[in-house]
Amino acid sequence: MRFMVIVKATSDTEAGILPSTEEFAAMGRFNEELVKAGMMEAGEGLHPTAKGARIDFSDGEARVARGPFDFSRDLAAGFWMIKASSLDEVIQHMKRAPFPSGEIEIRQVYAAEDFGEAFEPRLREKEERLRAQAAKS
Amino acid sequence: MRFMMLMIPLGYESAPPDVQLDPERFAAMMRYNEALKDAGVLITLDGLHPPSMGARVSFAGGKPAVTDGPFAEAKEVLGGYWMIEVASRNEAIAWARQCPASENEIIEIRQVQEMADFSEEVQQAAAGFSELPHAGRV
Repeated sequence: MRFMVIVKATSDTEAGILPSTEEFAAMGRFNEELVKAGMMEAGEGLHPTAKGARIDFSDGEARVARGPFDFSRDLAAGFWMIKASSLDEVIQHMKRAPFPSGEIEIRQVYAAEDFGEAFEPRLREKEERLRAQAAKS
Repeated sequence: MRFMMLMIPLGYESAPPDVQLDPERFAAMMRYNEALKDAGVLITLDGLHPPSMGARVSFAGGKPAVTDGPFAEAKEVLGGYWMIEVASRNEAIAWARQCPASENEIIEIRQVQEMADFSEEVQQAAAGFSELPHAGRV
């Protein structure tokens, strides 16, 4: 099973305040543990929403708004992609993440077999080809 | 530059664990994904199960507290994402506008941090660790 661990934005991340060298090193050690456990697929940080944009499709047209955005809306500041055998396994590991405050959200990623009939074999084959090509490029 | 296109489907915050997808919409999204791939901009993409199957860990107060989904207080949740490689934010916006999204959906564009965005001191600290996996850098 694959999981996405979403790190929530805080006033610091939204202000563009980067982690201190010590905090960065602590996160580096935590990431190395995830790698050694064979769980870490990717990990990324995101620039603040002040440098981002939103596209709203609600009126049948794509309206663009520039950031920053109100962070009471659960904005993201970064994420991990994690391989694990259960949600509980991810929770157990992530409880040890070196965060002094803040919140993370853990979500299971869809796999082809989760889609059932909507994902007919022809589409499934296309999707697999698409992933293989994207990974190569 | 790498950008994330975060798909935010309004209403997904209260979707049941066995939420069903519309095959027609699914096929339209697959065609869009193929267009991203054919243009050479797609790095990776994923869809997320509803938050009712997930959990949150809060670190407030220095002690991790776990809450099972769904999250009553959530106004918006993530439904999935694309990671793309483009030359500018405007190019990322142009791609997002072409998405066959529904009226309840919002796409948020965010630039991904690269090591060069951090201070020299932090870069030196990072050099002490083995190369960690990043999306799109195999």
